Amino acid sequence: MSAVASPIAVERIHWWQSRTLRRFMRHRLALIGLAMIVILTFACVCGPWLLPYDELYIDIRARFASPMTGAHIFGTDPLGRDIAARLFMAGRISLLVGFFAMLLSTAIGTVIGITAGYYGGRLGAALMRFVDAFLSFPSIFLLLVLAAFIKPSPFMITVIIAVTSWMEIARIVEAEIRSLRERDFVMAARMLGLRDTKIMFRELLPNAIGPIIVAATLTVARAILLEAYVSFLGYGIQPPLPSWGNMLNGAQQYLDRAPWLAIVPGVAITLAVTSFNFIGDGLRDALDARSDID
Amino acid sequence: MSDKEVTVFTHPTRRQALTLMMAAGSAGLFMPNILGKGEAQAAPPAKPTGKVIIGFSQEPTVFNPHMPHIEVDEGVSFSIFDPLFGIGPDGSFYPALAREVPSVENGGISADGLTWKIKLRDGVKWHDGKPFTAEDVKFTLELLVDPNFRSWRKTGHEHVRELTVVSPTEITWKMAVAFAPYASILAATFIVPKHAFDGVADKNTAPFNNAPIGTGAFRWGNRVAGDHIELEANADYFGDGPYLERVIYKYIPDLTVLYTQFKTGDIDVIGLQYITPDHYDEAKSLDGKKVNVVPMATVESFSFNMEKPQFKDPAVRKALYAAIDKQTIIDALYYGLPTPTESYMPQQSFYYNPDLPKHEYNMETAEKLLDDAGWELGSDGIRAKDGVKLSFTNSTTAGNHIREQVQQYLQQSFKELGIEMKISNLPPAVMWGDYWMMSQFDSVVVGINFLTGADPDTSDYMKSTSSAAKGGAGQNTWQYANPTVDKLLEEGGTIFVPEERKKIYFKIQETVRNDLPLLPLFQYAIVRGHKAGVDGVEPNINVRIDSWNVASWYWAS
Amino acid sequence: MFHYLLGRLWQSLVLLVIVSMIGFAVLNLAPGGPLSQYALTPGMTQEALNRLAEQMGLNRPLPVQYADWLWHLVQGDWGRSYRDNQPVLDVIGRHLFATLLLMGTSTLISILVGTWIGIKGAVKRYSVFDYAATVGAMVALSIPTFWFGLVAIYVFSLWLKWLPAGNMYTIGDGSFGDYAIHLIMPSLVLAFVNVAVWGRYMRTATLDVINQDFVRTARAKGLPERTVMMKHVVGNALLPMITLAGVQLPSILGGALVTETVFTWPGMGRLFLDSLGYNDYPVVMGLLMFSAMLVLAGNLIADLLVAFVDPRIRLG
Repeated sequence: MSAVASPIAVERIHWWQSRTLRRFMRHRLALIGLAMIVILTFACVCGPWLLPYDELYIDIRARFASPMTGAHIFGTDPLGRDIAARLFMAGRISLLVGFFAMLLSTAIGTVIGITAGYYGGRLGAALMRFVDAFLSFPSIFLLLVLAAFIKPSPFMITVIIAVTSWMEIARIVEAEIRSLRERDFVMAARMLGLRDTKIMFRELLPNAIGPIIVAATLTVARAILLEAYVSFLGYGIQPPLPSWGNMLNGAQQYLDRAPWLAIVPGVAITLAVTSFNFIGDGLRDALDARSDID
Repeated sequence: MSDKEVTVFTHPTRRQALTLMMAAGSAGLFMPNILGKGEAQAAPPAKPTGKVIIGFSQEPTVFNPHMPHIEVDEGVSFSIFDPLFGIGPDGSFYPALAREVPSVENGGISADGLTWKIKLRDGVKWHDGKPFTAEDVKFTLELLVDPNFRSWRKTGHEHVRELTVVSPTEITWKMAVAFAPYASILAATFIVPKHAFDGVADKNTAPFNNAPIGTGAFRWGNRVAGDHIELEANADYFGDGPYLERVIYKYIPDLTVLYTQFKTGDIDVIGLQYITPDHYDEAKSLDGKKVNVVPMATVESFSFNMEKPQFKDPAVRKALYAAIDKQTIIDALYYGLPTPTESYMPQQSFYYNPDLPKHEYNMETAEKLLDDAGWELGSDGIRAKDGVKLSFTNSTTAGNHIREQVQQYLQQSFKELGIEMKISNLPPAVMWGDYWMMSQFDSVVVGINFLTGADPDTSDYMKSTSSAAKGGAGQNTWQYANPTVDKLLEEGGTIFVPEERKKIYFKIQETVRNDLPLLPLFQYAIVRGHKAGVDGVEPNINVRIDSWNVASWYWAS
Repeated sequence: MFHYLLGRLWQSLVLLVIVSMIGFAVLNLAPGGPLSQYALTPGMTQEALNRLAEQMGLNRPLPVQYADWLWHLVQGDWGRSYRDNQPVLDVIGRHLFATLLLMGTSTLISILVGTWIGIKGAVKRYSVFDYAATVGAMVALSIPTFWFGLVAIYVFSLWLKWLPAGNMYTIGDGSFGDYAIHLIMPSLVLAFVNVAVWGRYMRTATLDVINQDFVRTARAKGLPERTVMMKHVVGNALLPMITLAGVQLPSILGGALVTETVFTWPGMGRLFLDSLGYNDYPVVMGLLMFSAMLVLAGNLIADLLVAFVDPRIRLG
């Protein structure tokens, strides 16, 4: 080691300095993300009260007003409805769909992953093949097939998104649990005669919570994107209920004369998704045990 | 063939000039390309020259014209095949593979309408060089009722009996019942070659179905699936034309892109679904393009499921009608293109009744109607009567943007009256499945072409025995039941003299306007366009597609 | 090795059966059906629809239909499209080229650019470049592809008028240059996301390698930095990328779906949406099976390749 000490030493200093920088920057990104989400959520919750327009109020004479016309900050849509009002109401729906889809898919993924990981054997293998089967569909295909035949309501869209995005979490949980299940504390719990469910959820699950939180955060981002995709293709949430995705749905048709119809909700989606990804990334670094060792 | 002969089957033409041209048709020269060419235009080229690209927003995929298909498929069929006789823009028939349009006067049809005799054109060749004969006609009519063949329409053909080939150029048959709409059905029945199905075990998968052989002005070239279909001029065509070397049907799945490509000149003719209303103003002023608004036979309506308790009271239907601001919908959302209407019958039809009561948008009238009928506002702001709440869902195809806007606009108007309308749009496959056919909806916004060709018979839509939800076989999804209408429809189907039929259909329209099973909103108008250099493009309200006379299109030099 | 392969193939087969069951059930249990598109045809009657349903075998019990479909599939018959009555494999085959062209181009771009960004980011770790690349990748992964496509159309087609708004080629032209100019926007839009994915993975992989003993040894031997990088680092860092390529295969198809819609590209994504819209079950099933097979094959080949190039891994 000592023979090659000098170049390593140089690098080590470099490392140390950059590492601080990196952590700082990483956390800053996560903080920015968090701040943006707080602002967005706040705007979506309070915005509709502050604006002079109702998101459903139609005023055909005022259609296609460009942004900053009168009190229409973001302009109006083809029915003369205020886009800002719709954007915030849509945000409520898109964020809620993203959040609940995350909760549901995390629940499904955790239960399946923990069962497969804890019992292993044939049951575990069968469950994981089931996970693989779901993963073999490109999720957008499966999502569209489902959405094409189920009456689209925010609740159903949430369920559909959850049904197509739980596999990642199942895999992560399964791997974690599998590596934990032969550990001493599990053995001890078994000897004490604790029920399997108790061991799984009380003893094992808390140890896997880090990766689950990271995956869950990224799932929110994914779910918001998926809602946008499905609604854009016309299979998602139906008007007059606005969602960020379905606000974009008709926008392509008016791209040349009213580009703000496309730009405003698109920016909102990108902001929200980026923020969640930033947070997820920051969490990953913060929770990653290895990052402290190396 | 006299003026009167033409009228026997269809109805008299309103344009005398055209009728005179029809007379010329009996000489065997008459082809669709002559129709409607009122003004003097550059003469067509001596031999087929150039190519025309027609853009469609849906992809033609069915090339056997007798299998289940959609409108754009007919666009291709019109180029490749011919019917015995076709139907022109004014609703009169012109002979195609038949030497003349059969009528009582020329002996083509017996006075009771039960015996038919068709004389065929001599010397017509299929694209593969084989001669066209009466056997092909017989084969076609039999194919349509073949139980093993996925025939898309048996209506009318199922009455045909004793098909007899008298000679290669003559065929006769008997009808089990007198059925006046059959002429219109035949005008939409393309003749296909018998020899293409020789030795084919399953006619549903015959090679012909993907490489059709016809008698038409253009022969099958090639198809790049998902993209375009290319047809080539048929030099042996029996009529005038074709004047184009090639016709290309290009599939462009997005209406905005379709329009953009028309604007940039990538496509020469913009076909189905045409130019979107919001682009009309811009399109009008495009250089080197001819753009015009053309009426279509489709009527947009707000349709009720008459068996739902909310809609049983005629006062509710009348009140809803009064609460619809038709003019604003047409002017603002459809850019003033469609025509308001009171009837399900297209206004260009000979059978259209122009004297129906005019709709008036008046919220007070609507309110009064509901008040007088005893629909009282509840504490939730919604009217109710005898425990029935005036609340219902309204559905249409998800993704139809303008229609979705109309729904939301109506929702707001109805709400002011204390009527709750919930929008519940469905993907097309679900919407037009059992939901529609078995009358599972409350109300829908739908555009329907009620006619077959120019024939005014609407029994399948309006007879009380045509509701599938009640075990019927038709498409009376409104579950509309009025004995007067039933009787009139029965009568109208057996009368062959247009002037007499007219009285009956006037009465039917009056009754339907009064009963309001559907609130007629407007008759569609579409914005068509083609390059100024393309001559011969002629709209025809009696067919579903604009390339019906592509044989007579040419580039003005 | 042989046993391993056999086991994997068996597993894949089981998976395919599960996939097909899920797909078939979802499609067929839903309301509506392939005939609903004809409902609004003038003169269409319930009677005619019933007759057609019977002729097409649509009124049989679902398990019977599934067994029938599976039995034919086993014999290599994927069924026929309800729309144009062509064998499903032909239908898919005819849309394959467009998708391969778009995907191939975009994947090539994203691998080249992504690899470059990844390596550079790893070598100049924590530099401005690395930082910008990391943030850029995060943003790229967050932008909805279709929206990015729309914005691109607005800027480059409607505003600047540099590039065509859609389609694969101009009819009647179809020269190489014509294809190329149509390809630019969709392939770059699609590559944008994939560059991010590749870049991030490549960066991690490179970092893993850089710190390994043999690289230090190489440096210690006094080899020029460039040689060390090219010969020892990049070569080894590319190894895990093979797995990624295998795993990425299916998401490429998914990405095509949205991109093809926005740019009216006549490929498999478009076919999928059209078939779904018309309830063309045989084609939808065919595409689902096709993509599932692709995924499984991709994974398998990637594993085999890695084992083949990396002597440290032994399958068995």
